[in-house]
Amino acid sequence: MYGKIIRNDIRRSKLITATIIIFIVLASLLTSLASALSIDLIGAIDNFMLQAKTPHYMQMHSGEVNLDRLAEFAAGQKNVEDYQVSEFLNIEGAEIGIGENTLAGSVQDNGLTVQNSGFDFLISLDGGIAIPSDGEIYVPVYYMREGIAHKGDEATICGIPFKVAGFIRDSQMNPAMISSKRFLVSRNDFEKIREFGRLENMIEFRFIDNSVPATNFETAYMDAGIEANGPSSITYALFKIANASTDGIMIAVLVLVSILVIIVTFLCIRFTLLAKIEEDYREIGVMKAIGMRVSDIKKLYLAKYGAIAAASSLLGFFISRILLQPLSDNIRLYMGKSESAFPALMGGLIGSAIIFIVITLYVNKVLSRFRKISAAQAIRFGAPREKSKSSNAFVLSKNQIFSCNTFLGIKDILSRKKLYITMFLVLVVSSFIMVVPQNIYNTILSRNFMTYMGIGSCYMRIDIQQTDDIPEKTSSIAAEMAQDKNISKYTVLTSLLFDMKLDDGTVKRLKVELGDHSLFPIQYSKGRAPESETEIALSKLNMDDLKKNTGDKITLIVDGQEKQFTICGIYSDITNGGRTAKAVFKSQRSDVLWSVIPVEFHDNSLTEIEIEKYRTLYPFAKVSNIDQYIDQSFGSTILAIRKVSYTSIAASVLLTILVTLLFMKMLVTKDRYPIAVLKSLGFTCAEIRKQYVVRSIFVLIFGVAIGTVLANTLGELIGVALISSFGASSFHFEVNPLFAYLFSPVVITACVYTATIFGISDIDLLLVSDHIKE
Amino acid sequence: MENLLTGKNIMKIFGEKGEEIKALDNVSVSISKGEFAAVMGASGGGKSTLLFALSGMDDITSGSVKFDGIELSGLNEKQLADIRRTKMGFIFQQPTMLKNLNLLDNIILPVAQNRAGMSAVQVKQKARMLMKKTGIDKLENRDITEVSGGQLQRAGICRALMSSPEILFADEPTGALNSKASEEIMDLLSEINNEGTAFLLVTHDVKVAARASRVLFMKDGIIISEMQLDKFNNHSIGSRADSILIHAQKIGI
Repeated sequence: MYGKIIRNDIRRSKLITATIIIFIVLASLLTSLASALSIDLIGAIDNFMLQAKTPHYMQMHSGEVNLDRLAEFAAGQKNVEDYQVSEFLNIEGAEIGIGENTLAGSVQDNGLTVQNSGFDFLISLDGGIAIPSDGEIYVPVYYMREGIAHKGDEATICGIPFKVAGFIRDSQMNPAMISSKRFLVSRNDFEKIREFGRLENMIEFRFIDNSVPATNFETAYMDAGIEANGPSSITYALFKIANASTDGIMIAVLVLVSILVIIVTFLCIRFTLLAKIEEDYREIGVMKAIGMRVSDIKKLYLAKYGAIAAASSLLGFFISRILLQPLSDNIRLYMGKSESAFPALMGGLIGSAIIFIVITLYVNKVLSRFRKISAAQAIRFGAPREKSKSSNAFVLSKNQIFSCNTFLGIKDILSRKKLYITMFLVLVVSSFIMVVPQNIYNTILSRNFMTYMGIGSCYMRIDIQQTDDIPEKTSSIAAEMAQDKNISKYTVLTSLLFDMKLDDGTVKRLKVELGDHSLFPIQYSKGRAPESETEIALSKLNMDDLKKNTGDKITLIVDGQEKQFTICGIYSDITNGGRTAKAVFKSQRSDVLWSVIPVEFHDNSLTEIEIEKYRTLYPFAKVSNIDQYIDQSFGSTILAIRKVSYTSIAASVLLTILVTLLFMKMLVTKDRYPIAVLKSLGFTCAEIRKQYVVRSIFVLIFGVAIGTVLANTLGELIGVALISSFGASSFHFEVNPLFAYLFSPVVITACVYTATIFGISDIDLLLVSDHIKE
Repeated sequence: MENLLTGKNIMKIFGEKGEEIKALDNVSVSISKGEFAAVMGASGGGKSTLLFALSGMDDITSGSVKFDGIELSGLNEKQLADIRRTKMGFIFQQPTMLKNLNLLDNIILPVAQNRAGMSAVQVKQKARMLMKKTGIDKLENRDITEVSGGQLQRAGICRALMSSPEILFADEPTGALNSKASEEIMDLLSEINNEGTAFLLVTHDVKVAARASRVLFMKDGIIISEMQLDKFNNHSIGSRADSILIHAQKIGI
């Protein structure tokens, strides 16, 4: 019997059933995809890092490493299983040619290495440990993805010819965001090129138990005085996060979209059910009156929605299996396959099953309203009117402002708020989906964005690091800049390692960047930049470690003396491992870790020329074009977010049209009787249509207004959560007012208006006699 | 008397080809200005269909319906709606009210759009006058679910009279009421008729039909007989009703 009822019901309301099916399929598809991809990603990363035997701790150092002292230190550490010093031969980008391309413009630190023997293996695309023969080179998979290198290409490194034998996955340096890339050559070739490059050592450790916090090891490492003039040490957890970041963001966006689609699905189901119940109110009353139990009546509805939910969830799951392949291409390329495809398959299935269960439970909950229906009341009057003070006060006989049709439109909304809340919420969600990704995109695209990540907004940046006599070399560059008429402003920022006395008396090392922080200001999530010699600003990570806040004091040992500093600000930092501090005091010390000179020009179109000039003059310095740096580090992310934002606009348009159409169709079906009454009283179809358009527009105004406000406030919080994966923990949206306040509302209005006009076209076909005749 | 509404050879066919049902089969009828005509007949005989066809609320398969000399089928939707709004009134068995409006708002609804030449104050005055006349003047702010069926029917009559129509169509106006309420409503309708409004009323109830000056008997979509009640003008409602009953039995209804 249920089968027959379901079939009849579906036949009678094809559009409504189709819309609900579409939403459930989408919800199931997205949930299944997100869970399968997450499991796939986690599995692939684990498998990849297991295969590559990624180091648990890595410290860069340029210059000699005292191997005996290192061996002694390693032997003394109970938790160290293995250690090695891996060489990384830094090669100028211009010296690397692959096929027709050169890496001259690359902001990556490219270098050669040989395959390690103990751990930290570079894995070839077939999953094995890559072993190049003489004359062969394995190129980072990043350059394959960028289309720069192809298998079989001729390559030259410092004039020596190579053949691209394949590509490597590097568990340390795979992602675009990691600014170093390792090329793999044979030992013989490495030795041939050694003299052309700048050698850096990667001092790497594997632990027996990786669950022990690396901070203890780091302190021991520092105390033992092992070489460490490179950027901060990196741990296994950080490698894992870096590997997850690119695809993690895609999954995060998927999860976000899934949540919104699920919300919309629930709203649609709620609306459809409420409308259906209201429509069937008298029948339900009659069923109750003839003694049918509520549970039996519920079964009729549950059977229909259960069948729809089961079929749609299953369909969503199957589509997700088809889409999983292209979406996990990137994961497979960078990290290979996970050990077994079974967990991802199960994850997807569970995701879809959850959608089915939740929808069924939800329908069951909405249907609990049946208990409240009084049989007598239902048979006599049908569905009761919502009690509403605002509606009671809004009376036609006292109306002086609105035309009759506008009044009736607004009155209907006030009397049936529960029903219209669905459309309102969908419009809020639509505006939200349209505006938030666009805001995120604008924010990342803006020049200001780098200032949220600890980089002052400049055009050229010179890094002097991993070389000797840094203070002297920095001074010579600064002297040249003072004479350079093209430069409008520059400043020298010098980083030194200071001992910091903790409250418990222990000593920790703190990297402090000294200089004038007001010229190229960064954004502070709390407080401000240091201005006086007794102030210090800490990066977010340091602040979390020290459990301090602004206004608290810390003690540093400066030039042999203990000095107290007041914490004046907190900022996010993606540079140098994220654990930094900024201060303005002077120090006499010469053991500078590195110096940075940010520069701005009178005419910033001169940037390229100036970069060339300083590159030639100071070959030891790393001269970067900040726009290029941003483009190469975040280019693919920006591109992905732009795609997401365009997809969101399309999704929002589709969602608005579909839901408004569904809503209006159902409303007209539900309102057949009052429409017939109005027609019998001499209202024309055009007048009645106007009432429905007024309802739409009224809900639209509130929905879009609140959606836009939420997108720019709550959306910012979601944006923070997403963008914080890049390291920026606090920032403000860069809102494009033309898009957020004009384009988006106009598009949604157009969609709602068009969908309303189509949705209410049935009003013309409705015959009075069919609905009023006794 | 001058004809107000004339239907000629009206055909109304429902259903697909081969399974057609003739709801109205070549029906011709005319209602004069100020006349009170009643339509009686068995269920499914085409009474309500005739009422909907003559009021222009339902289109007809063939034939002609003229109101005040104007052919209704030649009018567009707006012109038809205008006539319905200004010159016709409707009363149904179940009072057709909008749930989200109170009683007063429901009553003024037909004239809320262009007020039929009245000011907003006049509209309210007229509504209150009609409500007083029908005895529901204390209920104007009530929700329609808070009043009785009889009170609701009175509100329906007030609404139908708001635009001072030339003709009132009533489909079983007392069908849902008890005999006392029914009588009160019919007294009211008779009074309105005496003031010059024509009536076309569909009913099963001989006592209701007895108020009319002419009764049309319908069966299977055809007017099979007509009975003039003018000659019983001095008779009581009861004896007029008896006469109708006898006639009905005679013609087999």
